[in-house]
Amino acid sequence: MASSELPSSEHASRPLRLECVESIPAGTTTRHVDQLDTETLDTFYAALDGDRSLLEADTDLEIGEVIVFTEYYRVDHV
Amino acid sequence: MTHYVIIGDGISGSSAAETLREKDPEAKITVITDEGEPLYNRILIKEHAKGKLPEAPISIHDEGWYEERDIDLSLNTHVTSVDTDARIVHTHEGDELEYDKLLVATGGTPTQLPVDNSDADGIHHFWTFQDARAIREHADQADKGVIVGAGLLGIDFAAVCGAQGIEADYLMRGDRWWRYALSADGAEIMHEGMRDVGVEPVFDSGVDRFETDDDGHVTAAVDPNGERYDCDFAGVAIGLTFNTEYLQGAGLEEDNGIVVDEYMQTNVDDVYAAGDITRFYDVLLGEQAQNGSWGSAKEQGRIAAVNMAADEEAEAFEWVSSYSITHFDFPFLSFGHPTLGDEHAERKYSDTEWRRIAFKDGKIVGGVLIGDLSPQSKFKQLMREQREVADQAEVLLEQEVDLDELAAPQEQ
Ligand SMILES: Cc1cc2nc3c(=O)[nH]c(=O)nc-3n(C[C@H](O)[C@H](O)[C@H](O)COP(=O)(O)OP(=O)(O)OC[C@H]3O[C@@H](n4cnc5c(N)ncnc54)[C@H](O)[C@@H]3O)c2cc1C
Repeated sequence: MASSELPSSEHASRPLRLECVESIPAGTTTRHVDQLDTETLDTFYAALDGDRSLLEADTDLEIGEVIVFTEYYRVDHV
Repeated sequence: MTHYVIIGDGISGSSAAETLREKDPEAKITVITDEGEPLYNRILIKEHAKGKLPEAPISIHDEGWYEERDIDLSLNTHVTSVDTDARIVHTHEGDELEYDKLLVATGGTPTQLPVDNSDADGIHHFWTFQDARAIREHADQADKGVIVGAGLLGIDFAAVCGAQGIEADYLMRGDRWWRYALSADGAEIMHEGMRDVGVEPVFDSGVDRFETDDDGHVTAAVDPNGERYDCDFAGVAIGLTFNTEYLQGAGLEEDNGIVVDEYMQTNVDDVYAAGDITRFYDVLLGEQAQNGSWGSAKEQGRIAAVNMAADEEAEAFEWVSSYSITHFDFPFLSFGHPTLGDEHAERKYSDTEWRRIAFKDGKIVGGVLIGDLSPQSKFKQLMREQREVADQAEVLLEQEVDLDELAAPQEQ
């Protein structure tokens, strides 16, 4: 089944990954970690520690955006 | 039709404008700012000053954002006074705007050091995007720096110096960085972080005066002990002076900030305030408090707007703020009111991990986490629940915090 045919609940629980990037092209949505809500922050920290996988449904992160933390992290699908 | 006027287009003013439009689709909304650009991401300008982030991702709204929402935006417009009896806002160009409800969201301006030559060329303060552009340009060419102000904004200058290859001395009063929230153990981790990026903390110091060359450019800072620190770049971050000058005579109660209740109402009818400028009633703390953070300013703007539109006390501000430092290899998070409290518990876990929790009347009111930030949501939850847990600090200092290990809360 192509991903576009997934029921929306499965779409929403797709795993995300955080990729460390050196530079940010113009036009990239960029947020500081202090702009994340407490729950997203929790999942974000856990995902960085490798403790927990990051699921789209658990966070308000958007594909392609960059989060500024101790490094710059790009949010992507696994 | 109600006319809402918002003074300030920082995150508190802008979030209020957005909420007002959602809640009151027919209203007239005007946002006035003395800056030359609409809302941008103030907490990312430090990354621009460090030379890492280009300008584009820092912008949040363009002028089209306001047009789409039918919000009148006045850029480069300084409000000079407010007549709260006649309900009129006066601007520097002599314009008069009548309002039905007013939101004061004008934040603060960095305080200048009261010493000789504190306005010399090459001495920077850091609040606006324009400041960040100037800092970036100068830092790129500078070799030797001095930083003053041992708090959350001063450390951004340390990071700029580190990232831009400026060898710097960080002159601090007292024996450590942010001494009101950190003990020697916690502060030492931060000092190591500074040294790692080429910034040397200097204790029991400060600035007595700056020296300049014939062109008026800073050449050195002299501390109260008479020690001279050469510099061609200086960053000063000793605090904020709230932008309330234009409110003289408006009858608003002030106490180093505008006093508001938990609904963001001032003591004057139909005048609200939000963001850094407020001294608000903190329902979790049970007293008036202040907060200088993005999340809190955004939420205060939203809450003010909800109550302005509802024309009643519809929603109270109840929030645990957090503020991160992300400049070093290890992360740092301060939450709530870490400088308040009548009791503290702390533990060091490694050379880069440390935790401190502040309690008032047995309840957590804030804290600082260095290295491992994972307990933040649990501590914030205990704050929101107002649980008395000071006598169980051992559980809270365990590396892995398990709230199930806490004794069940007593029935009140
Ligand atoms: C360098 C820096 C780094 C920061 N880092 C962080 C961080 O990592 N995490 C965090 O949570 N917070 C951080 N902060 C704090 C955060 O940015 C502020 O708490 C927040 O932006 C406050 O928003 P505000 O809307 O209350 O005020 P402001 O953003 O200050 O907006 C007030 C606006 O009102 C305008 N104004 C003032 N007087 C007048 C007048 N008379 N007429 C018209 N307009 C007027 C001002 O020009 C300004 O545009 C940082 C701040 C700075 C400067």
